[in-house]
Amino acid sequence: MNAAIDNHWYPVAMISGIDAPRETLLLGKKISLGRDGGACWVKDATGTELPTVERFGHLWTSPGQPNRDLFTIPEADSPGRRLVDVGSVKVKCSPLRAVENFLDIAHFPFVHTDILGAEPHTEVDRYDVKIREEVDEVWATKVKFYQPQAAKSAAGGITTEYMYRVPAPTCSVLYKTCPPRPGEWDIITLFVQPLTDEWCEVWPWMALYDDDSTMSEMVSFQQLIFMQDRSILENQLPRKLPLDPGMEVPTQADMTSVAYRRWLKKIGYTYGAQLVAA
Amino acid sequence: MDWIAVGLKEDVPPGFVIPSRIADTELAVWCSPSGTYHAWSDRCPHRGMRLSHGFVRGETLACIYHGWQYNEAGSCHYIPAHPKLTPPDTICVPTYRCIEAGGVIWVSLTETDTPLPALGGRRTVRSLPVSMSAPDLAAHFGAAGFTTIAVVSDHDVLLAVQPCTDGECMIHALAAPDADRSAVSHWLEDLRATLERVPA
Amino acid sequence: MILYDYVLSASCYKVRLMAALLGTPLTLRAVNFHPGREHKSPEMLALNPKGTLPILTDGDTVLTDSADILRHLTADHPEWRSTDDDRWLAFASALNASLGLARLHDVIGYDADIDKARAAGVAALRTLEAHLTEQRFDGLIFLTGSKPTIADIACFPNIALAPDGGVSLDPYPSVRLWMRAIRSLPGFIEMPGIHRLHELAHPV
Ligand SMILES: N[C@@H](CCC(=O)N[C@@H](CS)C(=O)NCC(=O)O)C(=O)O
Ligand code: FES
Repeated sequence: MNAAIDNHWYPVAMISGIDAPRETLLLGKKISLGRDGGACWVKDATGTELPTVERFGHLWTSPGQPNRDLFTIPEADSPGRRLVDVGSVKVKCSPLRAVENFLDIAHFPFVHTDILGAEPHTEVDRYDVKIREEVDEVWATKVKFYQPQAAKSAAGGITTEYMYRVPAPTCSVLYKTCPPRPGEWDIITLFVQPLTDEWCEVWPWMALYDDDSTMSEMVSFQQLIFMQDRSILENQLPRKLPLDPGMEVPTQADMTSVAYRRWLKKIGYTYGAQLVAA
Repeated sequence: MDWIAVGLKEDVPPGFVIPSRIADTELAVWCSPSGTYHAWSDRCPHRGMRLSHGFVRGETLACIYHGWQYNEAGSCHYIPAHPKLTPPDTICVPTYRCIEAGGVIWVSLTETDTPLPALGGRRTVRSLPVSMSAPDLAAHFGAAGFTTIAVVSDHDVLLAVQPCTDGECMIHALAAPDADRSAVSHWLEDLRATLERVPA
Repeated sequence: MILYDYVLSASCYKVRLMAALLGTPLTLRAVNFHPGREHKSPEMLALNPKGTLPILTDGDTVLTDSADILRHLTADHPEWRSTDDDRWLAFASALNASLGLARLHDVIGYDADIDKARAAGVAALRTLEAHLTEQRFDGLIFLTGSKPTIADIACFPNIALAPDGGVSLDPYPSVRLWMRAIRSLPGFIEMPGIHRLHELAHPV
């Protein structure tokens, strides 16, 4: 038992995808989940029921005693948004590496070439990052980047503005300029289920303003982007995320990742982390 | 362990980078457009991405993740996210001794005075993986070491063996200059089949 | 021509890639294969009772096998055909049960005997490596000769995506050179898991 790790909420299934009971892993331990009529349940290996929350189209559970409610995304409730269940992809990397990659924009020209970025538009301008102590979340704001095709709904290249939020150690929410509705933000999330400390199941979910694309097109777009990341994530060494400075070399463009690592260390979240002593 | 063959010259033409390894040391082996071979640690100092997934651009090796470029000495000289920045000299990739000779790319993980293995005028044929450790392979031929093993055969085959994992090695095969390479290739496939036939 | 397409499908990518290399326009219809299982929906089953992708429609013609679709796309392009193609088209289809299955298992959790799928994938890679090495002894880079044909395009996706299923491509130098030659073809398009060749763009 490690309260700093166990007392968080973790995504374990897409609600629309739960039919027969099934087994999965959470933090290296077997759990089972299913649905009785309307309500979903999760049990640990001894058959003890674990707490559940159904939110953002996903089923969440915790092996510990969460001392606060699962975070909310109030903006996602505004009318006119389409909620997109993207499904899951398994990746052989630390759950923390998956989140950190999601917080990074400097890779866009090389990994998401001609979609989220393109040479020679590689420069990352200074942006604001802070750990919001009152909510205990990491936030990066005023992040701007030139994108050839920022979303399925984008007609051509635009400078996109982003805000990143880390409301839980294995989750991130991205607020992004919305091509058809200037002034509003599209919401793209990455919910990561730590299967083990070096293997995760990633559940992206989106709440978008897009009246033109089919649901399948929006799902495809996000799967395309995430699968481009997967081939990176499976090839970073070490597989775990180094929390102590020294092993890797950040620059100004990596301020979000630096804050994320510092915050993980502060709250004692070491699952999937590589510490100097390790 | 001094010189170890990590690949054949004709398999790594100018502008190419390949993943390789010597036991637990993972390597990015690349050839610059001007034809110089390099063997580096296969890990980008920035965020740990394998450099062997990267790309050769000019006389540099670039990382696929954020495009950082490393010059032939292994020093980072360009960071695309900060095009105006001159990266500090401290950002560099560990490099190893790497020489191409006789069509074979040789790497030494330590400084060494040992001369490169003699190849007796043979020419390279092909590389192939074998599910067997390098020491076991040497033992099979009764050889003292696995750096090169001369095999009594019709084609005067010489095997340069690269230790990969406990159960896996690569053999880089050379043969008499006038040998039929296709025949040698088949001979090697048969040899592998024999070696991998697990004894009961 | 309409391609009912799934962005992560190696078989659909064969078709997208072939069309791109030929410069043949395709209208893409995204099908939510995962997680939506839309390829098993009544509309899709009406088009293809097997419930698989890709599906290509060209007027009244409906084709549901990627090998047939490659032949259809190149019907007027003899330069993309060779008498040796059939053997490699069959080899390519068999990869769905080895490397392709290992990939679906590792990425989206398909049921599989994963060790068996990977072992069959390694055996296939060894066969391909041996053949491509022989080709290189004769100065040829592609499967059937000095120019690419539908044989190469059919084999390329599941081979190049092998690492997605936990099968390493590191020990196959001739396969690597062949993949590089395909990635260098004019009009080449990538798919997730296969990076663009960044070598030539924007030298600094
Ligand atoms: N013979 C087909 C097989 C393609 C295939 O296996 N497609 C997969 C998607 S990558 C599929 O539709 N699978 C669904 C199923 O088998 O139920 C072809 O190559 O065109
Ligand atoms: S990890 Fe290599 S450039 Fe960032």
